[in-house]
Amino acid sequence: MNESNLNPPPPLPPSLPADELPLGEHPHDCNPIVGALGVIEAVLRHPRRIVFHLNQGSATGRLVGLLLAVALVFIAVYGAIVGSFSGGLQWWAAPLKITGGLVVTAAICLPSLYIFACLGGSPARLGEVAGALGGLMALATLLLIGFAPVAWLFSQSTQSVVVMGGLHLLFWLVAAGFGVRFLKTAFRRLGLRSENGLNVWVVIFLLVSLQMTAALRPLVGPGDKEPLLPRPEDKKFFVAHWFDSMDAQARRTPVRRD
Amino acid sequence: MTSAPPKSARFQLGPLLRGEAEVIAGWITRWTAGHTWRHVALIVAGAGAFGAAMGVWRAPAQAGFSAVKLPLILLATAAGNALLNGLLAPLLGLNLRLREAFAAVLMSFALAAAILGAFSPLMAFLVWNLPPLNSGSSANAMAHSVMLLTLVAVIAFAGVTANLRLLQLLRRLGGEVIAPRLLFAWLAVNLLLGSQLSWILRPFIGTPSLPVEFLRTGAFHGNFFESVFSTIRQLWPDF
Repeated sequence: MNESNLNPPPPLPPSLPADELPLGEHPHDCNPIVGALGVIEAVLRHPRRIVFHLNQGSATGRLVGLLLAVALVFIAVYGAIVGSFSGGLQWWAAPLKITGGLVVTAAICLPSLYIFACLGGSPARLGEVAGALGGLMALATLLLIGFAPVAWLFSQSTQSVVVMGGLHLLFWLVAAGFGVRFLKTAFRRLGLRSENGLNVWVVIFLLVSLQMTAALRPLVGPGDKEPLLPRPEDKKFFVAHWFDSMDAQARRTPVRRD
Repeated sequence: MTSAPPKSARFQLGPLLRGEAEVIAGWITRWTAGHTWRHVALIVAGAGAFGAAMGVWRAPAQAGFSAVKLPLILLATAAGNALLNGLLAPLLGLNLRLREAFAAVLMSFALAAAILGAFSPLMAFLVWNLPPLNSGSSANAMAHSVMLLTLVAVIAFAGVTANLRLLQLLRRLGGEVIAPRLLFAWLAVNLLLGSQLSWILRPFIGTPSLPVEFLRTGAFHGNFFESVFSTIRQLWPDF
């Protein structure tokens, strides 16, 4: 009698879903990320791969640089679409200010992200944290590029600064929402135990990015009627700026009776 | 030949922020002058950056003054209370040496300073978005309130986090009963000295009608608690 029939092998443990496998054990994790196209594919389809490569240490800097470069190119392109509404000076001023705004937002929010990540129990290094933030920016700006044709079409068919501003804002919030989802997934892989601090940081990040709409105005409206940046005495909270813009629009628009 | 210190003995910001009590307890027992200097550097950099971001709303010179004064308060409080904190620890049941008590307090201050430093770019951004302090615009009162609330929120968050981490460390060193008792005692004496130091070293932002200066002329006249009491009496004269 065959011995193997007497001692059947122990049952295999149920295999984990691919997303729950430890980092590096999924077949896609270790594939190299080559160039901008590799970054785009990884951010969209294999976010675990980004986290795995950030976690390796040796190429963290290169990957963070690639993520940032992709985000900067995409946001500059989307900035040109924003500028196309008013044209003229805004063709170059809007992309420049929106790109600068995103860089400043990331730079001033990075230290607090590192602090909140550590307070949440993640052993992530600053480079990994910067990479997770770079991934958020790359994914959000990639989505903005996806929205760009819609935004361009509206910008050519409406004269309302408020409608266009609202539309860009909506696109940014949707894009940032997906970016934040990437960030949270990345930090779970990077050992985050509590997301409370990260949620606070997300609110801070969104507030800073929204305040940029007031700090760098005009972004959508014509650039030749106002200074390139608001004068010190004209600084406003972003909500006040939005309400003022809506009031100004309402005063300019005649009541239609058709 | 001297061997490199074990990894757990080397100062790193990450374990301090994560509150890895075992690693931090290791630092305390193997505390060196290097540890002191690194924590002092962290306090100078973190609290200094936050002070500068706060003071720049008034004037660039005030930013420089506040960048010096805010770390000075933390360091002077840790140094001024070192003996008292060291005495309170064994009296309340935790057999810490003077150096170890000083190390624990300095570490919690360094953690608070690191958090303040991380928030300083956000403070600077807030200041950049506020109307100038001396502009006299109608929005100025609201801007002042926003600034004050943000300062309170950030400083409270840094302070609470630092003390929670200190409590975790004290729990590991002395157990559940002694730790809150000792933390409360340390907080009380540090608050007493720290509040008076902050009173003496005022202003940190400064009233627009008064000149920008490192110390007010009457810096040593009065005290923090007298000032709070007289403010309450102004609000409620019958008090």
